[in-house]
Amino acid sequence: MTEQEIATKEKQQVQGQEKTRAGRFFLPDVDIEELSDSLKLRADMPGVKQNDVEVTLNNGILTIVGTVSSESYRKLQPLYTEYNVGNYFRQFELNEDIDAQRINASMRDGVLELTLPKSERARPRRIEVNAR
Amino acid sequence: MALLRYSPELDPVTNLIALQGDLERFLRNPGYGLGVSGSGGFPPVNIFDAGDGIAVIAEVPGIDPNSISVSGQGHTLTIKGERRRETSTDAAGYHRRERSFGEFSRSIQLPEQLDLDKATATYEAGILTVKVSKAEAAKPRQIAVKSA
Repeated sequence: MTEQEIATKEKQQVQGQEKTRAGRFFLPDVDIEELSDSLKLRADMPGVKQNDVEVTLNNGILTIVGTVSSESYRKLQPLYTEYNVGNYFRQFELNEDIDAQRINASMRDGVLELTLPKSERARPRRIEVNAR
Repeated sequence: MALLRYSPELDPVTNLIALQGDLERFLRNPGYGLGVSGSGGFPPVNIFDAGDGIAVIAEVPGIDPNSISVSGQGHTLTIKGERRRETSTDAAGYHRRERSFGEFSRSIQLPEQLDLDKATATYEAGILTVKVSKAEAAKPRQIAVKSA
């Protein structure tokens, strides 16, 4: 049998903040990578299509919401389950200087990829040293 | 029974909540009996009765569908694949690293006589759905009663 390298975890339900929408919300797993001129955020939201993602940036708070539909389960009767399905919600406070106008978002195969470009001020700058 | 709950007249939110309740009820259902290997392994699977067969649904976001292998032998369905991390050039490091990657393999013993020739597997929005229909012999059939 193949060595099981990859781990699985239970989906985490969103605690605390009450949503106006009913139904459970789960926290998507997220990777955040630091590049020299931007941050790259990738969130796993399987079952969420491009049109069902909402990304907003307000007062330094980045909010990601992904909604799923129960349509495809209509004719199915559960026999054995290991995971639940539901909408996704996650928020981050951005402490980097991010250029909100140039945030790029794309969705593919249930993975949301956000490119958050750093504003000029936040980019590492090489300062030239002259002779005196 | 279940079909009534997800009716198109009800709003999507009510249907989703009903679905969540059902999925919770069948969590690790011991009544299912036959083996699901690597329980607790990736990816978590949900198994459904689709009426005319079985549907196995797993969440495997961000995978190249060509890297997934779905195979069947006898009563056993095996799902294998690999999830590869995207690499960015010029990355200085991670602030968060929650998503997991690597090879995975899960085998499921399906209870009915299934016709693997009629199996289909689709991958959409990160969800892998494998449908296997019942073999002809296993389908309920009407037997005509003739008077002698």
